[in-house]
Amino acid sequence: MTIILGILLAALVVLVVALPFLREPSVEDDRLDAPGEDEVRRLGLVEERDRALAALKELEFDHRAGKIGDEDYRELVGPLRQAVAGALRAIERDRRYVQDMTAFETPDLPAEPVPPPDEGSPPVPQPVTEPYPPPDEGTLPAPASVPEPYPPPDEATLPQE
Amino acid sequence: MADLGRAALVVSLGLSVYALVAGTMSARTNRRRLAASARNALYCSFGSTLIAAIVLATALVRHDFSFAYVAAHTNRTLPTAYTLSAFWGGQEGSLLLWLLVLTGYGALAVALNRKLMRDLTAWVVPVLGGIAAFFGFVLVAVASPFDTQTAPLDGAGLTPSLQNPYMVAHPPMLYLGYVGLSIPFAFAAGAMLSGHTDERWIVATRRWTLAAWAFLGFGQLLGAHWAYVEVGWGGYYAWDPVENAALMPWLAATAFLHSVMIQERKGMLKVWNMVLVALAFELSVFGTFLTRSGVVNSIHSFAKSPIGSWFLAFVVLSTIFSLVLIMWRLPLLKARTKLESALSREAAFLYNNLLLVALCLTVLWGVLFPIVTQLVKGESRTIGRPYYDFFLRAFGLPLLLLMGVGPLIAWRKTSVRALARTLAWPLVVTVACGIALAFAGAGSSKPGLIAYTFSAFVLASIVLELVRGTRVTGSVFTLIARNRRRYGGYIVHAAIVLLAIGIAGSSAYGRSKEVRLIPGQSTSIGGYTLTLRDVRRTPTPNAIETRAVFDVSGRWHGSLSSGDNQYFFPPEPSREVGIKTSWLRAEDLYVIADDVNLKTKVVYAKILVKPLVNLIWIAGIVFLLGSAVALWPDAREQRRLVARLAPARA
Repeated sequence: MTIILGILLAALVVLVVALPFLREPSVEDDRLDAPGEDEVRRLGLVEERDRALAALKELEFDHRAGKIGDEDYRELVGPLRQAVAGALRAIERDRRYVQDMTAFETPDLPAEPVPPPDEGSPPVPQPVTEPYPPPDEGTLPAPASVPEPYPPPDEATLPQE
Repeated sequence: MADLGRAALVVSLGLSVYALVAGTMSARTNRRRLAASARNALYCSFGSTLIAAIVLATALVRHDFSFAYVAAHTNRTLPTAYTLSAFWGGQEGSLLLWLLVLTGYGALAVALNRKLMRDLTAWVVPVLGGIAAFFGFVLVAVASPFDTQTAPLDGAGLTPSLQNPYMVAHPPMLYLGYVGLSIPFAFAAGAMLSGHTDERWIVATRRWTLAAWAFLGFGQLLGAHWAYVEVGWGGYYAWDPVENAALMPWLAATAFLHSVMIQERKGMLKVWNMVLVALAFELSVFGTFLTRSGVVNSIHSFAKSPIGSWFLAFVVLSTIFSLVLIMWRLPLLKARTKLESALSREAAFLYNNLLLVALCLTVLWGVLFPIVTQLVKGESRTIGRPYYDFFLRAFGLPLLLLMGVGPLIAWRKTSVRALARTLAWPLVVTVACGIALAFAGAGSSKPGLIAYTFSAFVLASIVLELVRGTRVTGSVFTLIARNRRRYGGYIVHAAIVLLAIGIAGSSAYGRSKEVRLIPGQSTSIGGYTLTLRDVRRTPTPNAIETRAVFDVSGRWHGSLSSGDNQYFFPPEPSREVGIKTSWLRAEDLYVIADDVNLKTKVVYAKILVKPLVNLIWIAGIVFLLGSAVALWPDAREQRRLVARLAPARA
């Protein structure tokens, strides 16, 4: 009995282990679905964006909670906003680049057939999701009202040309 | 049935080896079906190990003494719960539990991440397969729980000290922790092997690390309580090598949990995080080597066995593997940002990391010292309690202080003025507490007073953080729900504070007295008066119980008994202490009747009063609560992760 159970167990596991080959005995594409160069780059950019957004949100929260003074806040918020904007721009640039490269590499295909004017309503574009909110945080709190440091005191007194 | 158990283990070993070899080949050559096959082998390895575990559990419940393991660790009079706990009461069974948890964790972690992180899991499978193959090999070739014999009429029984409810839960908790550290290690190794050292491995293992860390921490507290009520020497932690073996990976994992936040926020400390993950894993295996090799003397050790050398070889090989991997991938692990200020949250985390790792390595040196002296001088020299206590104060007290300062500092940068403003209230509370405690007499122990005042500082800073956060969000529940990890962490900090107060209170302000009494004689200590009423001997089905009975008056009125049990199976004595807990003061009256002479009725006893000791056990519950909050799944976080990785799946 025990031997039979052992043999059954061995047969069963061989079956399960061989299952991917039994299901698809021959396939055209047996490559592992690993991210390519473009995808790795995109992941890095998205990470940068999320990191910058999280840092900005954290700063806003800390400032509203009173952990950071106005002076420190003013000093830190500018570079962080720039970092967020830079990360978003980089993602957009990368997206366009990939699109352009894909279009460049795509072989000549017949143009999409244009639907006749009386066939239904025109297609509605897909909504684009906002990159917010950043990881680990909920909704972005409203920025605190802090007087802008500009114009710097010495610039304000500069003589007009 | 033993044949089925053996066959299941052999199959499990074969599957693990297949997962290692086929997984490596598929990841190297980028072959999808082979990778899926290796993954299936890992799943089946868990199934096969589960069958082996069921066979052993069935044999235990059925008292099948033809299994040498069952006969060696149970007998017919053993209650069912302890009979089942004998599964991990012996070496072979506990190794089987380790393999079961490892393959179970591994299968689940791979299954959960296989779609989002295919490139990573392709390498995680062979790493987990390699670890499982080692344990499978030890179980099949060196220490099998399925060795058979001619069945004796009854078994030898379970060691008396293991017949305790805490021992039903303590070892599995520790294993869930030890083995859980394999998952972040496997993903970190997978990230390095694949060359994709982005944050995905951290995202994938965040909860696994936290869960393993929580199990390990709570398991240690359960073990400490077991030692307190069962071993009967009046303490809860003796810096025993095997106790230290669980503490070291926990310290390394604590450091990792903090430093990984810096990587998430700033993209820094990538190499350091890899080192910490590897260190935590290696220390967990090293701990197992210590417990099982017999190289150190400990009440917790298993009997000396040949598996020690196998474990040592595995620790050495896996350490070399980790180091080579980190060195190889150093260029990929370079940070792109720098620490902006020494007064910032990330800097506080860094100081915390240095202290935690320093404490961990100090403990490691204390554990290794007898082995090193044995090798160098030919005689084993043990490091005593003063060494550990000194370093616990030297590193632990600054750590406690940092736990209060860290949450109050902002990320990136804080000006001295802003920091002084933030720290003002907690400092006022701390100074007020310090003065009040000094007036109350706590100044008799300087480390105790420092620990108390630092604890007050940490609690004040946590309260301040909660109040400030609540002002912004409008509700404390919203605040915690929005960032469970941070506020769950603060609850854990509160637990550590309770632990610190409990340890300081019971060790620095405890009282003890050794007495010789005959019936009718009394002794007083810490507001309690104990009068020896009688001595008695009671035979029970399992043991002969000898007790000295004391009438207690003063702070509490009642009776306490203490003595020993002489068990029949196995024929071993077990010390039984008398404990009266005052929950209002979190204090224990602890009586150890060392020697009870039934003829002369003379009793030699040690009586201890341990103030605040029960805060340590309450800390365990708070620790679990904080860990649960931090671990609680966050649907928004999951959606964001899926959105981030979505194109990778396409």
